Order: sequence, then structure tokens, then C-alpha cells
Amino acid sequence: MKGLLLTFVLVAPLAAAGRGVARELDDVARIASVMVDGDACRRIVTLRALEFMFKNDPRDQWVAGDNYEVNDEAFIPVKKTLIRLSHLAPFPCDVNLWMPVAGHPEKVRIVIRNTNELSQFWPWGALYQDMIPSMKQVLETGHRVTVSEKPGWVSVLAPVYDSLGDIVGLVEAVTQQPIDPQGNVK
Amino acid sequence: MKCLLLMACVPLAAQTSRLEATPEYLRPDPFGGIVAADGGSGGFSNSVKLEGARGGHVSFHLVVKMSRPGPYTLTLRSYPAQFGPQAELFCEWFHLTESNKQYFPDALIPVQQPYHSAMPEPDNRIEKQTAQAFLVDFWIPPDAEPKTFHERAILQAGGETSELNIEISVLPATIPNDDVLLMDHNSYGTSWLADDYPSLSRKLGDGFFRSDEFFRLIHSYHRIFYEHRGIFHQLGYGHAGKVGPEFAPALEGSGRKRHIANWDLYDRHYGPLLDGSAFAGTRRGARPIPFVYLPVNPEWPATFVNWGEPGYETEFVNVVSEMERHFREKGWTGTRFELFFNHKKRYMGFPWDGDEVRFPADNRYLLEYGRLLKKAVPADSPVKFVFRADVSWDMEQQFKDLGGVVNMWVASRDILSWLPRASAMLRERGDVIWFYSGPPAVTEPASTITQFPLEGWMRGVGGFVHWLTVSAGSDPWFHFDGGATALVYSGDRFGIAGPIPSVRLKIQRNAVEELTLLASFAGQKLKEEDLKTEAARLYNHTTPAEWWNRRPAFADKPTYEWSGTALDEAAKPAMRHLEHIDPEAWARVRQYVMRLAAERNGQK
Repeated sequence: MKGLLLTFVLVAPLAAAGRGVARELDDVARIASVMVDGDACRRIVTLRALEFMFKNDPRDQWVAGDNYEVNDEAFIPVKKTLIRLSHLAPFPCDVNLWMPVAGHPEKVRIVIRNTNELSQFWPWGALYQDMIPSMKQVLETGHRVTVSEKPGWVSVLAPVYDSLGDIVGLVEAVTQQPIDPQGNVK
Repeated sequence: MKCLLLMACVPLAAQTSRLEATPEYLRPDPFGGIVAADGGSGGFSNSVKLEGARGGHVSFHLVVKMSRPGPYTLTLRSYPAQFGPQAELFCEWFHLTESNKQYFPDALIPVQQPYHSAMPEPDNRIEKQTAQAFLVDFWIPPDAEPKTFHERAILQAGGETSELNIEISVLPATIPNDDVLLMDHNSYGTSWLADDYPSLSRKLGDGFFRSDEFFRLIHSYHRIFYEHRGIFHQLGYGHAGKVGPEFAPALEGSGRKRHIANWDLYDRHYGPLLDGSAFAGTRRGARPIPFVYLPVNPEWPATFVNWGEPGYETEFVNVVSEMERHFREKGWTGTRFELFFNHKKRYMGFPWDGDEVRFPADNRYLLEYGRLLKKAVPADSPVKFVFRADVSWDMEQQFKDLGGVVNMWVASRDILSWLPRASAMLRERGDVIWFYSGPPAVTEPASTITQFPLEGWMRGVGGFVHWLTVSAGSDPWFHFDGGATALVYSGDRFGIAGPIPSVRLKIQRNAVEELTLLASFAGQKLKEEDLKTEAARLYNHTTPAEWWNRRPAFADKPTYEWSGTALDEAAKPAMRHLEHIDPEAWARVRQYVMRLAAERNGQK
């Protein structure tokens, strides 16, 4: 109920067109919760990469990034699913995968991004970041949350489940209107 | 000093204004001294002797000193173009750096003569400023008469007139038009252009990125680097595959129906660069750019949703084949089109590293793209496609495993330092080999930037890439980040719809011109190795061997077991010789080059 209330509160300021966009993204996110394989998501980032993620070496500032690796046999099918989900929307959008960090409940990390390079939350280049309250809400309650904190941006966050029925991550179905064709080409 | 012989300083205590000069490596500060990084004091003179070869440049700092605030006029007489050196005058901007709150001159604002201004310079707004620096840049045309020319700079201020004599000796030697190595200046996307040119982008509004002014702006960046003996690259896609519309033809359809629907933006962007017309009227002449990125990435032209399926291959091959056909029909055969993957796993777009492969399993993706490229491009195509890889960790193995697939390498300087035979091996098999680097900040000695062309030549590579050269920060004028990602600046503040050069860019250009001349002396009487030995000795008191490192033991281990720290340590012995380049380092090399040039002329 709390999650639904939050959804209402965050969507309310949207203009009519924005509400239409939010509804479309909500559909995408709702379907994503069914389609995205949480077990595969858990296998994407290697244990070794996760161990290096929090290593701090003053003499090697790139140690975490240089040791970031993924299992491509898990990454590829999940990414393909995310791309297909993004095609459900009648406008350009991305569906990104986010996951919590085991042992670091106050952190969250993006795991897969997509071709429009859109996210309302990812500071470019971060391997992990402070937990976003709305993401925490999704991970704890399983309710979808719509966020429109940046002007022109709408994200709908929805849970991703594994075969045990546990929430293992979330998707961010996101768009920016108008799209910035030159943005994030770097 | 060879090229810039500064005469003994004459006390002019009675005058309240005067003109002085310093060599290009001794940057003036706004208070009458030399910036600390370049020595801090001395180096001023009241006359200048320059010496240079034809087809090149000579430069120095001209300094207006005024003990009292007030207006002044500066005049520099130009030579008739057909006879001798042609002067350009640039006002030097003093940037206040955030890191150490010191002033450094770097951005060069072209000024017309006579130049009227005031001390302190109103726009630069430096309290208690007593000295304004100008860069005097002489171009010596290839057909200049070999003789000594005389010039005067004249300062009028407070009812006084001061003069500074300039003597330029033009040698008969001519700098070859093709450089001993390519200096590449990299950048990413175009969104920064709207930020850097607010006057233009505000005027054009939503139409900015499709306007003629926008494409002229892009071309002006290519021109400025070309005029400074360099080239310019703009990567047109992001780490998750987003392609800027001006970097690729527009596509339609999917699977077997995927095709190019529109070349308009691509041709407006690249046409003048690929046929050379963007460089019409430049001193080096209209020539096609030698290299250009393709927009190809794992998400373009084939969508990743089809990866591993027949549709991916069909989309990739069909579209790249269309591109080859278009380039061929346009006659764009003077440029190498680079298939290049810049993405890294850490940016979460794709499951393998295209840039700096660390995990050898990722090489199988490069092999697959090599196969697709070969299928897309006819073997006898006059259009030159190359497969470029920017490499570090796994490069020693990649040179072997990807031979015949990747044929353009941009390598880590550090790792290349322990592979002394790699450059020759790669060039012998027809591959391109460069290394990557970054420009030195203005807080380092001005001569530091000369290390890159010299290092490239010492190591036998064909070029080097400064990884980012157009990003001067949000306020380079009053809160400067040091310029380690910029060698040019936006001219917007000065009413110029294009980039303006920097002191560092001029120094780099002069160095590669002189290095090109030096390398051209290699032959029967002077062996290249002897030239390198003497240049290294003069530059930083080293031997050629000291530019190389011992291959470390860990290089035999799998690359995923290496550490960045160990890598840095292994590179240190050679790199430490380049850590502190003294202000006179290149001046000594230049003197050697000019002496050889004069001797060769005497022999003739």
C-alpha cells in the first residue's frame, strides 16, 4: 500500500502527456517482472568482480573497474530480454537491470544498460552507488514505483524474481522526453 | 638556444613600458616573471634571433611590460607573403588554475594589428597585472627565400615608444610535408559543442545539431589540428551503443530488411573531410583525413538482440557492404575507416571489453567481427577498412593471436616500453601501431609536451593519440582545471565560431616539424640510430636503451593475475626519464636539428 501511495505521489506532478508515458512504461515494467530471469541475473557478474568491487588501493585507482567481469552466457540472454521489453513502448526507452550488493544493503549497482544510454539514477561510470530510496522500496515491497525526479524523465521501477520467488533485483524502464540524440555519446 | 637566440638584457629602468621576449618554452606570467614550472625567472631579452627551416614554424613569446596601468598599442610588421616568413599574433590568456591558484598562459586569441588594449587586460581581469604576453608565430613557406629577415615589434604606451628587433634566418632545408609520425587528438560525441558555443547554439536552438554552422564547427576542429600537424578523431557512439545521428547513416528495417535509408547527415559531416575540401585554403593543402572512426559497435548496424543469430550477421554484412559501396562511389579512398570497439564491461553495455581487453576470452568477439568485416567488404575494394584495437593488458598476446584480423593498434605506452621489437614487427606486416597518451597540464613545464613525438620516434611507432583534447572544463578562463584534456579552446568568448589554439599545441607542432626534419636526415651518412642517440642525449641525457624497460616476470602470467600497481612499477625505469622535462630540453634538440640542416646545406 505504501508503495502504491508512493507511485501516486510521484506520478501526480506529471503532465497529461507524461502520465501517458508513465502508463506505457508501467506496462513495460510490469511485463519485465514476469519475463526477466532473476536466476540468470544473479549469475551475470562474477564473484571475483564482486570481491574487487569494494577494493580500495590508493596506488591503483582503477583496481575495481579493471577487474570487473561478467559471465556472457548469463549476460546475453538477459540483455536480449531487456531490449525486447523496451520495444513494447511506442517511444524510445531503455530497460536497465539493477541489483543490490550482497553484504552492502546500503548500496545498489547497475548491471545492464541499453542502447539509448538512459537512466535517471546512474552517475556515469559508477560500479555501485548509494541505494536509491525508491529502489529500496521496490526491493522490499515488490511494488512498482514511478519516478520523475528530473524534468522530462520518467522511470518505472519493478522487481525481478528468481525461481524461489525472492526479489533479486529490479528493472528501470526509462525514457526522456524529448530524447537528447547527442547525450551520453561518450 | 639555437633557434631563439635571446640577446643580453639591457636595463631600461627609465621607461615605464617596454617590450621583451622569451623562448616558447619559457612562459611569461602576468607580473613580469616566468611561470614557476618553466624556471620562474630570467630568460627575457630585448631582441630575438630565430632560425628555422622552410615549410615550418618558429615562435616566441612577446611580452608587453608596463609598470603603470593604461592603454597601449602593439604593432608587428608582416612580410610580403611571397618572400619570407608570415607572422601571426596571438594574445595569450592567463588561466587561473584551481589546483595551485597560479596563472598560466595557454589559450591563444588571434588578434589584428595594430592591437589596441590596456594593462591590466580588461577581459582577463588580473589585479596588479603588469605584463601581457603574446605568441608570435612565424610560418616559413616552402618557397621562402633562404636568407635572414628583419622585423620589428613596436609598443606605444604612455607617450613612449619601445621596439624589439626580430631576426629570422631561413635555412635552405625544407621540412617534409609528411610527418615522421601522426599526432592524433581524440574526442567523444558532439554534445560538448553546444555547451562550448553558447552564442551559436542559442541562436540556432533546436536546429543547432543539424545546421550548416554545426558541421562547419566540426570541420574547424579538424582544420585547427591539421594546421598544427595533427589529426582529429571524434568517436560517435557510447559504451552501450548509442550512435549520434551525425556519425552514421540512418537505418531502417530489421533482419534481412535492414538497410541505409538516409546519408544526409553523414555526408554533410564527413563528405568534406573525406574528399579533403574541408581543408581548402590551409597551408598544408586540401587532403582527405587519413583516419576516421566508423560508427560500428555491438549495437550498430546490427542490433544486439540478434547477436549470435543469423539476423545479426545479415544486418551487419548488408549495412557495412552498403557503406563500402557508398564510400567507393564517392571516391573516398584516401582515408582508413576504422572498425573500432571502445566499450568496456564496466560501463554495463556489453559483456566483453572492446577497449583494452584484459580477459583473453574476449578476443573471440574481435575474431568474429573480423570475420564479419571480411564478409562485408570485397577483398579488392579500393576503400580502406582497418580493424583497430586499443590495447594494453593482453596486447603482447593479441599481437600474435589477432594477426591478420586486427591491423591497427593503439597500444599502452607502459606495456610497449617492454616490447622493443613489437613496433617493427607490426609495421613490417603492414599494421598501424600508435600509442595512447594525454596532454600534459599547463602546470607542467611547457617543454613536457615535446616528449610524445620524441618518444614515438624513439620507439618506432607511427603515431600517438591524446585521448581527449577538446574538454577545457566548465570555466577554463577563471577556474581552470589545468587543461590535461584540452589542447584547443572554444573561441566563443572572443566572437570566434571555432576553436582557438594553445601554447602547448604550438610547441607540439614545432617539435614534430623539427623531428620530421631530423628524421629526414637519416641515410647513408647519418644512421637513424645515431640521430636517435644524439637526440636522446640532448633531450634528457639518456641513451636510446633507457627508453625501454625490462620485460617483467609477471608478463608470463595470465593477464587477469596482473595488477595495475605492478604494471606501473614495471614501466617506471623508462618513464621516470620523462617525468621532469627541463625547459630547455627540446631547445637543445632543435639546435642539433638546425645545425645538421645548416651542415647539410654546406655540404651541398
